[in-house]
Amino acid sequence: MVASAVELRLRNSRRDTANQFVSAEAVTSWRRIYNSRAKAQYFLARGFALDRDSTYYFFLTMITLSIDGRAVTVPNGATILDAARGLAIDVPTLCWYPRLPVVGSCRLCLVSVAGAPKLMAACAAQAEEGMAVETETPAAVANRRSVLGLLLERYPTDRLAPDGQDVAVGAAGFDGGGPNEFERLLRRYAVPLRPERHHELALRTGDERPGDPMIRHDMSTCILCTRCVRACADLQVVGVLDVAQRGERAEIVVGGDGDPDHAACTWCGECVRVCPTGAIHEVLPPRRFPKERVAAPERAVRSVCPYCGVGCQVDLHVRENAVVRVTSPWIEEDTPNSGSTCVKGRFGYDFPQHRDRLRAPLIRRGWVKRRDRWRYEGPAAERRRGPWLSIDDEGERPKPRPPERAVGKPLASLSHIPRGPDDVRDRVATPASWYEPFREATWDEAMELVSQELSRIRRERGPDALAVFCSAKCTNEENYVLQRMFRAGFNTNNVDHCTRLCHSSSVAAMQRALNTSAASGSMREVEEVSDVIFVAGANVTEAHPVFGAAVKRAQRRGAKLIVADTRRIELAQRADIHLHLLPGTDVALFNAMLWHIITRDLHDRAFIAGRTHGFDAVRAAVEPYTLQRAQTITGVPAADIAQAAELFARGPRSSTLWAMGLTQHAAGTDIVASLLNLILATGMIGRWGAAMIPIRGQNNVQGASDVGAIPMFYTDYQSVADPAVRRRFATAWRVPEESLSLTPGLRVTEVVAEGSPVRGMYIFGENPIISDPDVAHAEHWFQALEFLAVQDLFLTETARLADVVLPGASYAEKDGTFVNTERRIQRVRKACEPPGEARGDLEILIELSNRAGLPAPFADPREVMEEIAAVTPSWAGVTYERLDMAGLQYPVPDRESGGAAFLFADRFPTGDGRGTMVPVEYLPPSELPNDQYPFMMNTGRQLYHWHTGTMTRRAKGLDAREPVPTVELNPADAAELGVFDGDPVRLVSRRNAILIAARISDRVQRRQLFLPFHFREAAANLLTNPALDPYAKIPEFKCCAVRVEGAA
Amino acid sequence: MGYPHPTHPKETPVLSRHFGDSDARSFDGWKRRGGYASLEKALGMSREQVTEEVKTSGLRGRGGAGFPCGLKWTFMPKQRTQPHYLCVNADESEPGTFKDREIMRWTPHAVIEGAAIAAYAIQAEQTYVYIRGEFTEAIAIMQQALDEAYIKGVLGINAMGKGVRIDMTIHRGAGAYICGEETALMNSIEGKRGNPRIRPPFPAASGLFGCPTTINNVETLAAVPPIIEQGGAWYRAICLSNPNSTGTKLFSVCGTVRSPGTYEVAMGFPLKDLVHDLAGGMRPGRRLKAVIPGGSSVPILTADEAEATLLDYEGCVARGTMLGSGGVIVMDDSVDMVYQIMRLARFYAHESCAQCTQCREGTAWTTKILQRILHGQGKLEDLDLLLDLSEQMTGTTICVLSDSCAAPVVSGIRKFRDEFEAYIDSGRAVAQV
Ligand SMILES: Cc1cc2nc3c(=O)[nH]c(=O)nc-3n(C[C@H](O)[C@H](O)[C@H](O)COP(=O)(O)O)c2cc1C
Repeated sequence: MVASAVELRLRNSRRDTANQFVSAEAVTSWRRIYNSRAKAQYFLARGFALDRDSTYYFFLTMITLSIDGRAVTVPNGATILDAARGLAIDVPTLCWYPRLPVVGSCRLCLVSVAGAPKLMAACAAQAEEGMAVETETPAAVANRRSVLGLLLERYPTDRLAPDGQDVAVGAAGFDGGGPNEFERLLRRYAVPLRPERHHELALRTGDERPGDPMIRHDMSTCILCTRCVRACADLQVVGVLDVAQRGERAEIVVGGDGDPDHAACTWCGECVRVCPTGAIHEVLPPRRFPKERVAAPERAVRSVCPYCGVGCQVDLHVRENAVVRVTSPWIEEDTPNSGSTCVKGRFGYDFPQHRDRLRAPLIRRGWVKRRDRWRYEGPAAERRRGPWLSIDDEGERPKPRPPERAVGKPLASLSHIPRGPDDVRDRVATPASWYEPFREATWDEAMELVSQELSRIRRERGPDALAVFCSAKCTNEENYVLQRMFRAGFNTNNVDHCTRLCHSSSVAAMQRALNTSAASGSMREVEEVSDVIFVAGANVTEAHPVFGAAVKRAQRRGAKLIVADTRRIELAQRADIHLHLLPGTDVALFNAMLWHIITRDLHDRAFIAGRTHGFDAVRAAVEPYTLQRAQTITGVPAADIAQAAELFARGPRSSTLWAMGLTQHAAGTDIVASLLNLILATGMIGRWGAAMIPIRGQNNVQGASDVGAIPMFYTDYQSVADPAVRRRFATAWRVPEESLSLTPGLRVTEVVAEGSPVRGMYIFGENPIISDPDVAHAEHWFQALEFLAVQDLFLTETARLADVVLPGASYAEKDGTFVNTERRIQRVRKACEPPGEARGDLEILIELSNRAGLPAPFADPREVMEEIAAVTPSWAGVTYERLDMAGLQYPVPDRESGGAAFLFADRFPTGDGRGTMVPVEYLPPSELPNDQYPFMMNTGRQLYHWHTGTMTRRAKGLDAREPVPTVELNPADAAELGVFDGDPVRLVSRRNAILIAARISDRVQRRQLFLPFHFREAAANLLTNPALDPYAKIPEFKCCAVRVEGAA
Repeated sequence: MGYPHPTHPKETPVLSRHFGDSDARSFDGWKRRGGYASLEKALGMSREQVTEEVKTSGLRGRGGAGFPCGLKWTFMPKQRTQPHYLCVNADESEPGTFKDREIMRWTPHAVIEGAAIAAYAIQAEQTYVYIRGEFTEAIAIMQQALDEAYIKGVLGINAMGKGVRIDMTIHRGAGAYICGEETALMNSIEGKRGNPRIRPPFPAASGLFGCPTTINNVETLAAVPPIIEQGGAWYRAICLSNPNSTGTKLFSVCGTVRSPGTYEVAMGFPLKDLVHDLAGGMRPGRRLKAVIPGGSSVPILTADEAEATLLDYEGCVARGTMLGSGGVIVMDDSVDMVYQIMRLARFYAHESCAQCTQCREGTAWTTKILQRILHGQGKLEDLDLLLDLSEQMTGTTICVLSDSCAAPVVSGIRKFRDEFEAYIDSGRAVAQV
């Protein structure tokens, strides 16, 4: 089969597909500048004649020319600049930037071409066979000096870096030290400053961003290269910036009225990254990061962003043991993010230095050590309580009105939020009172107490009275050691983490259908190849902004975008078809799409016959879902459903992305199953460009699951109930076979439940008090535990209930690996030391494991990875050395394998290689609106915050953009309730009530609400319904009935 | 004819023969004068035959560059895999040029007919007529003519019942000279900022909306119907000096002449006759000092040079200038050359799209220096600086707007250096500035 050959080639050339594009003799020169990432797109966008086989593009013809006397062979269609870069000849450029549309307007790169009447722009002129180019002829140099001289005439002299200071300061443009990109060119061409004529032309102007929390402008240093305009419009597909006016008054403007909010700015900072002079620069929190420190970092460390599952690579600039700045990798480097970041990645890096960071272990007062044993002697009633408001109490307290957005306006003109006593804003996220019940302890005390109590509970109440929550924010190595400790040291499978609350239903459905637990394809193929992109229940541009931008670029390229969402999110507004369905009616929608496809005979008969089971049952099950019936259930016009179905089925390469919108339902597994039926029946999987991607919400939720931090599986989804598997792990861990339990453990939602056997818990970097459903109940449950140990960066809402709190390390303070949403294992590298007494998490876990009697003979994460590779067949070929650069997309079954950009080209990893379609019926959400609770409430993520806000609310810039909780309310409903924007409203569900400010927005439909879950003081999960999916035990976060009361 | 003046015996009225005759504006009036016969004839010919006829005629672009029109049409792909477009460049904004305006005002159907023939020849089913926004009268007249043409079935999906689709839309400019540059014009139609595009790709390969496109000037297209009607050979024969410059050309004469207006003469006509006979010569007591023969963008001629110039493409080049758009700006000895050159530079500084560094900063700086000289604050080195700047601005940018700014400055300083030096030496300022 063709596809398998293609897959092989893909695996071999995963890292660098340069050889796909250039003939053998030119490979070397091309390799030097272009890596595989975005290559086809890059060339296609420039109108290259590309040939194409089933997967890849090839250049049709190659041409040879000479540059500065050296011969170079390039594909026909390459520019002179491309060819020069191939020879490492540095032709200076200002307006040109890789991957941006070529405008050729700065006129700096003009070169001499033999026989041409004029100088030619190297960036735009195509190379031709036999051309003889000279890059530094007198004419070319004179022109460059002219261009630079003209720009210098309007450049503020006092901003020029002092002479002699030649240190380049990392990325272009920061005004803190040596010359910026433009000034380096001035020096290279020795352009003289002519003071007497200086400022005959006025300094340039432009829109500034006074008071902006993250991005500022100093437009006097703008040289109008328009890189920022194109980066915004063409890379991020936003279009905030533009050139206004003409002639000498031309200037960069922000939106129509100078207000970035009105222009839908997302603060991604792409403009900051491309600016060659620092006219657009980032705000650096001045007190903590003095200019000199930022300007001259001691080193820059390549690592992975700690936020969503896209796994962007970032460079952490370190000085004096602090991350002082984050920049993104060079745009042409092979990174999953093509060097972009979003606002969180670029500006959300200051939380590790937050003064709330725990610097020493804490032990709850009342624990004392008598005769070698720790005993709790404090007052019983005080147990796991403190002088604070419970989440429940906080919910109903009055909330500040959200401030006007602080953009484009002088700070003084903005309203202020009055600060309450335990306001989490203003860098005081942990109220002082939370520390009161604790005393600082030594590591020895803390470790001793933890291991004593966990062992005691295990001894007295049996192994299954213990449970551990691993962490989707921490590394694979840490999660592996932790689950190993609980499985082999404490003999329980009660190991789980917050994947339960996000994609567990996807995993359940994918396991059932395809015996897989991860994305089949890559983000890259969606961006570059897919013809149709179906986004279901995923707010990609806010929750995974870098991938969101890639999807928008794909649409630009011509891909059709179908979005199924209850809200009019950005992608829905851009979509070719927006299936604007009612909450929780997804099964009806997908079944109807499938039935329509079958009736139109658009299903892939060959794929169904050769690759799947169960089509007939599914066919029978979807038959009743006519377009008309689906319209009635979902509220989506029948014509839209039909059109979307046909578009998807016709492809020819359709990719499917989904996220929490599908999974967080009591019928989550069924919903995903019905989507998988659609994918399988149309054969939209297992080809380059037909990807199935459940988009992961956390930096390492994929990896934590892969290395066994879930109750029923060891690493690689090997069942704990399988005695053969158990034997292997017992051998690897050098423990008796019987000590490993064959019973699958309890899941997060079963652990924290009435009647759960769990009495002692270890929580590693998770915050269930905010993230579990119906948290008022959860809070009581945790308070009733016999023993609770928490390992975290801050005294979180959960940690404040603990007996022992162990201070761990942030992403910047550790080595290890994360796995992103496309199965890409990437290195996380330590940039600085944890503060105070805080320790690396792996170090803590290894010591605990040793104390628990299970030797963890690991000196460093590298050794842990060696053991993981040994027990994880699909990671068998992984070593740290091989993970440099862009990492590896597993499966990596051996040292030779280069990973796989996409899977399932000719079989699924099931017994007979076939996938199974499972018939599913539509069930309404478990809680429907009624007279008493007329609104349907949805919960989810916002652009500026992440998860329970522990990190983002302590990042100054992010917090300034979204400082208070708000609920999205449809304008018509607001009018009916008499509520204006920012007014407080009271939301009441069957479980609880909260007070919160309203954000009037037509993104939500009538009688629907959207409530972000990042905020402790208006915890969305006080209201949510703890109804669980029968298979995955995921709660119904997305649908709960509430009442809205104007609180005036 | 130089409406409102009667036709001068030395004129050769072809395009202007109905100027001043308002009856020719209506569809019926146009028909009565033989209109749309050419279109009908063209639609009966093959596309290649039409193009061949225009090639034979030797018709060259009247928008400024003088590119052979028939040849330009042959650049369009023969196979139509994408939509093809025709753009009619009616953005006439060049100072001193107002010939297209007169054509549209008096003979709108000539433009429509010519455009329809061109659209047929290049297989464009959609034509955009990009008219300068300030030409409100011309726009109204063109719109009315277009409506009539649709009603009468001349345009539309079945043009003249010949089964050919020829659609035409008027697009109004919004006050930017640069949008007359062909690639800026396409950007403007697309709704983008009117910045010229870098070439290649040339419009015939990738133009409007990325599709093959031809851009022609109003006058160029208005000359097409007579060519089809009477044959390329006939047109080619209208030629007074050089066989590479054929047909008639409209010259809009303005400045210090007694009868400014639009005059149509055969190619190769002597400039001195145009100025002194057709346009009525200087006012009493005034002597000719300088002429800019091709709109503001070309080098200035001194009186002596002007007297010896023949008005065709080669004749102008022979005198170190260009025929350009045919806007003849005449200056007598009352004119302050430094002031006039500053005004030209100021125009270009104002109209620069601001993309290219040399143009954006160079036009503005040139203007500032000239103003300084006029204010009596100039230095002798400033003249060198101006020449230096002009050199930097020539041949280095995406479009030729910056070259256009440099041309009058360079020729002005070379030919009227004494006037500049007088300002600098005396330190006197003029009140006009
Ligand atoms: C700055 C600039 C302004 C121009 N303005 C006009 C104009 O107003 N009208 C016009 O017909 N051509 C103008 N042109 C010339 C056009 O770019 C183009 O050459 C012409 O429309 C082609 O038509 P033609 O071949 O029929 O002459 C301009 C060129 C430049 C560089």
